[in-house]
Amino acid sequence: MSTTLLEEVPPPRLTPIEGVKEGLQRRWARPGGRAYAVLRWTGATVFAVIVLGLVVSLLASSSQAFGHSGLSFLWSGTYNATKDIYPTGIFIIGTLITTAVAIILAVPIGVGTAAFLSELAPKWLAGPLSVLIDLIAAVPSIVVGLWGLLVLSPVFARHVEPFLKKIPGLEWFFHGPAYGPSMLLAGTVLAVMILPTIVALSRTALQGVANEDREAARALGATRWQVVRTAVVPGARTGIEAAVILAMGRALGETIAVAMVIGNNNALPHSLLAPGATLGSAIINNFGEANPGLDRSSIIGLVVVLLAITALVNVGGQLLLRRRLRAEGAVA
Amino acid sequence: MSATVFPGGAGIPSDSGALADAIGARRELVRQSARRSLGRRRLVGRIAIGLCVVAVAISLAPLVALVAYTTSRGVKALSWSFLTHIPTPPGIPGGGISSAIVGSLIIIGLAVVMAVPIGTMCALFLVERRGRLAGALRFAADVLTGVPSIALGIFAYAVLVGPGSLIGHFSGLAGSFALAVLMLPIVVRASEAAMRTVPRDLWEAGLALGVRRSRVVRSVVLRGALPGLVTGNLLAVARAVGETAPLLFTVLGSTLLATNPLQPMGALSLTIYSNGTQPYPAAQEIAWGTAFVLLVLVLALSVVARVVSARLNRQAR
Repeated sequence: MSTTLLEEVPPPRLTPIEGVKEGLQRRWARPGGRAYAVLRWTGATVFAVIVLGLVVSLLASSSQAFGHSGLSFLWSGTYNATKDIYPTGIFIIGTLITTAVAIILAVPIGVGTAAFLSELAPKWLAGPLSVLIDLIAAVPSIVVGLWGLLVLSPVFARHVEPFLKKIPGLEWFFHGPAYGPSMLLAGTVLAVMILPTIVALSRTALQGVANEDREAARALGATRWQVVRTAVVPGARTGIEAAVILAMGRALGETIAVAMVIGNNNALPHSLLAPGATLGSAIINNFGEANPGLDRSSIIGLVVVLLAITALVNVGGQLLLRRRLRAEGAVA
Repeated sequence: MSATVFPGGAGIPSDSGALADAIGARRELVRQSARRSLGRRRLVGRIAIGLCVVAVAISLAPLVALVAYTTSRGVKALSWSFLTHIPTPPGIPGGGISSAIVGSLIIIGLAVVMAVPIGTMCALFLVERRGRLAGALRFAADVLTGVPSIALGIFAYAVLVGPGSLIGHFSGLAGSFALAVLMLPIVVRASEAAMRTVPRDLWEAGLALGVRRSRVVRSVVLRGALPGLVTGNLLAVARAVGETAPLLFTVLGSTLLATNPLQPMGALSLTIYSNGTQPYPAAQEIAWGTAFVLLVLVLALSVVARVVSARLNRQAR
């Protein structure tokens, strides 16, 4: 298969050095065998076709629902012959509420953990703890959901929710019967799921801050904590923001664990203790029984809405990460 | 924070004795306020660090509790016949999850066969080519990584399962396709990163020897990047093995020992979902056992991936 240099001898009118130069240039320019070029282009083309196919096929399968109700699909949904209406707006609100609960719970804890692992903990402790959290990040969401449903839910119903109801001033958030499965439980389960993501990405961002910044702050008389607060965290801000946004994308798009613990009630939740539904849980619970036609098309419409929301969030996160990388590249 | 340089006086004193006194007083003032400030800053620091430790404890507690509880419940459910028998009808004791294990292995195997070659080829494209097209593909891969997995399941349903589609009914292959789409962006980005760690000098040395570019890629780039490629692919597999949402409307689930990928199949995650959501202790027992098997599988894959990449780092150093 290998060719020898002899096949590539330059035309004789060139001087030897020019000949070598041209030969090298030709080698650089030549993709090196048509088969290899075909291989690369095939990979890229198939990938591009899949990405486009994903978008096109989902849009095509949901066109009936969007054609039926237009943009009002986004809040009122579509008529369904067997049940009633798929209230898209309620699912969107449910998705946003559970994600917000998850973010509120997970971000302070996650960033605090990352700060401890990256800046404050001794090396012998930080290493194993980081590995442990990275490994736990691989736990499948169905296992988290099972644990949320069978272990966490009774604990919430018996202890956590009655306790929250007693807190004065928060009645607006926590009222109604304490079932267990609720928006609050779904948000908590999501928080458990996104925590390792936030910790891992924020830790990477914190570790990326130049040591000179830490030393400069220390030389100005900052205490260890002040170094973290005034030099390290501001330096890693973009990275931490990107971590939060990517984790948010994961929380928005999670379906199976949420469907197991949210209680699946297609109504506007009046409290965090009330059962509800998210876009993801609504898709899981209704797609299987949906009749072909408008019914199924409406649920694929929910997928499109979910896809649009997560894509928006993820593109934002990626752009943020990219900006940080570019800024670092410019400095280096 | 007031900037009084000379306490009690304005302007610069004329005689040097007063100046020395003023400087001394100023020094004392600075020393005192520094001591006070340091005490306060140290206290704030202690409290903040204490809060960080609390955060670590809070973040570890549910994660560790989850793994420990699944293990304790799962080990109890586990037995040889649990792993080697197919499920019994509801109400009849015994039975196992062999159909789910076999189904998961076949589905994942087919997904790997689809995703790894395409992903590696696409990564080669990204490594070889600069410019807008490569940038767009890279961006698409990054965004696709964040697409909810249920969307991939519905996509596979629309293309392979639904009426008028390529297969037209539920099948293991449709689930493999959904998982392959899930794995693809991970494989692409991890493989590209691994290939970029091969020094440019080695490419150039290979090309300068007059070796065909495809040969350089095969024996220098792919070989040099092999540990990274293995790690990336294993992590992609670990992610795909645990997925449920892409399988619900493609594979459907089956309690029979199905090995034909064109027919509905069982899968570990589907077994957990269908048994775990039932109110019967026997079904929940099966769910915990299956969850433990899945957990062990996923953690083993992650650990192997980590060991391979650690070895890679050691070699590089």
